[in-house]
Amino acid sequence: MAPAGIVLAAVTLIPLLVMVYMAFTDYNQRSLFTGEYSFVGFAQFTGILTDPEFWASFVRTIVFTAALVIGSVVIGVGMSHLMTRLSTTMRTVTTIVLVFAWAMPNVAASLVWNWMFQPGYGVMNWILTQLRIFGDMTNTDWGADTGLAFIAIWLLVVWQAVPFIALTIYAAETQVGSEYIEAARLDGASEASIYRLVTLPFLQPTILLVTILSVIWDFNVFNQIWLVSKGGPDGSTSTLGVFTYITAFVGLDIGAGAALALITALLLGAITSVYIRNLIRSGEDL
Amino acid sequence: MSTRRRLHRPSPVATTIALIFCVVWAFPTYWMVKSAFTPRKDALTTTPSFLPLNPTLANFETAIFQAGFFDNLRSSVIVVTGAVVFAVLLGLFAAAALSRFRFRGRRQILVLILLIQMIPGAATLIPQYLVFNQAGLLGTYTGLILAYISSTLPFSIWMMRSFFLALPAELEEAAQLDGASTWQVLTRILFPLVLPGMIATSVFTFINAWNDYLIAYTFMKDQSMYTLPVWLASFSSPLTGTDVSGQMAASVLFSLPVVVFFVILQRKLVVGMSAGAVKG
Repeated sequence: MAPAGIVLAAVTLIPLLVMVYMAFTDYNQRSLFTGEYSFVGFAQFTGILTDPEFWASFVRTIVFTAALVIGSVVIGVGMSHLMTRLSTTMRTVTTIVLVFAWAMPNVAASLVWNWMFQPGYGVMNWILTQLRIFGDMTNTDWGADTGLAFIAIWLLVVWQAVPFIALTIYAAETQVGSEYIEAARLDGASEASIYRLVTLPFLQPTILLVTILSVIWDFNVFNQIWLVSKGGPDGSTSTLGVFTYITAFVGLDIGAGAALALITALLLGAITSVYIRNLIRSGEDL
Repeated sequence: MSTRRRLHRPSPVATTIALIFCVVWAFPTYWMVKSAFTPRKDALTTTPSFLPLNPTLANFETAIFQAGFFDNLRSSVIVVTGAVVFAVLLGLFAAAALSRFRFRGRRQILVLILLIQMIPGAATLIPQYLVFNQAGLLGTYTGLILAYISSTLPFSIWMMRSFFLALPAELEEAAQLDGASTWQVLTRILFPLVLPGMIATSVFTFINAWNDYLIAYTFMKDQSMYTLPVWLASFSSPLTGTDVSGQMAASVLFSLPVVVFFVILQRKLVVGMSAGAVKG
């Protein structure tokens, strides 16, 4: 325990304390070399909280996270139920397809996305043009338009998020007591009402768990945004994570970046405490 | 299995929906592989061909002999190995202590570990950057290894603890009666039994460290010390123009080890991810 405790303290706790401290300073590029900085106190936070760009990325993060979570959980739960209605072969095929989408490192997936949505030669541009619904999209530059960039990133994140949700819910769904379903069927319940009244209540804790995890993960989506749109055009797709990164590592205003990171950590801490309370209540022995 | 099949007969409607879903969901992966095998001159066409005509291995050759591949592969192997070895060994001892010995503050430590695990990577990145800058660890393999240990150790402890908890206490009692010391109980009895847990934890640590882009991108300034994800993302420089085929071949090569692990460990991953194994 002791060595692990020391390492954990050195690489996690100390940086966290440093972060809280730095959040109240004007540490910047110059400080990296000279080590000089001054204490600015709460002015840092009033500065951030009155910055319209902060609020824009805050609202963007909430809306985007909600869109991602709803999209992936709804599709995931739907797929899980669908999998109970498949033959063994078809279920295996679906599982393999899901695992492949899940396993692709998100850096590689982002590159595939950039290629599929590339103006001029992207296969998605071609397919959408052939559909003749949206007009000629051959030369559409997805990264140059806020809405289109978000749609592409949404598709990318949901594509990789659904497999975990579908497979987790499916694992829970196979545990639903068959006697309940049989009893409901004997009582003449329709398939839809069996699902709503028997299966869903049983799945509720698992759905809650994957929803909380999805909120945490989607809130932190970084690579996909960074590699597909770089937060652009004009910062219009930058979420809190991207905004923080740009502030700290592109603008090299590290003090302000630390303050932003602290705000994000506190927001996520609130969500995480719900998750941990749930975990403890579900009987995890500590 | 048989009861479920009786409960839910396979329906043609469900099969049709599943088929459409599979085509849509498999398409990006297929497109990556297909593009990787398509000759470079055929890649940029206004009407894409959906079948791999004239398949070639030339793109893989381009990718491998692209500047920096072997250097960056070596970087990846060094930091991933370092992270896996330390995270698993440290996690092993911590998990043994947290499951086999009772002491004050144990519960608090466990909750703390879980909380640390949930801290977003982007939040620890800034202070780590500063601390490592002070300590002269920026741009070194040691720094990167430490960063990966910090992001995987909490989970590694948490996961291996569950393997220790599954072992009956009688095992140690019997060994102790036979005169074994605490150290002998650990190394001769408990550690061999949690070997499967160590392997599973290693795989998780491997995936986390292998896939990381953000930390390596921020910490490593020397191109020859980039790891593979950074190499992959900067594959097409504005100077040489985009070589999509080469990039897709590189993506296939980079994804391959992870995909293999996922396929083997799919069931365990479902459980592990719920415990926060792989950071989003």
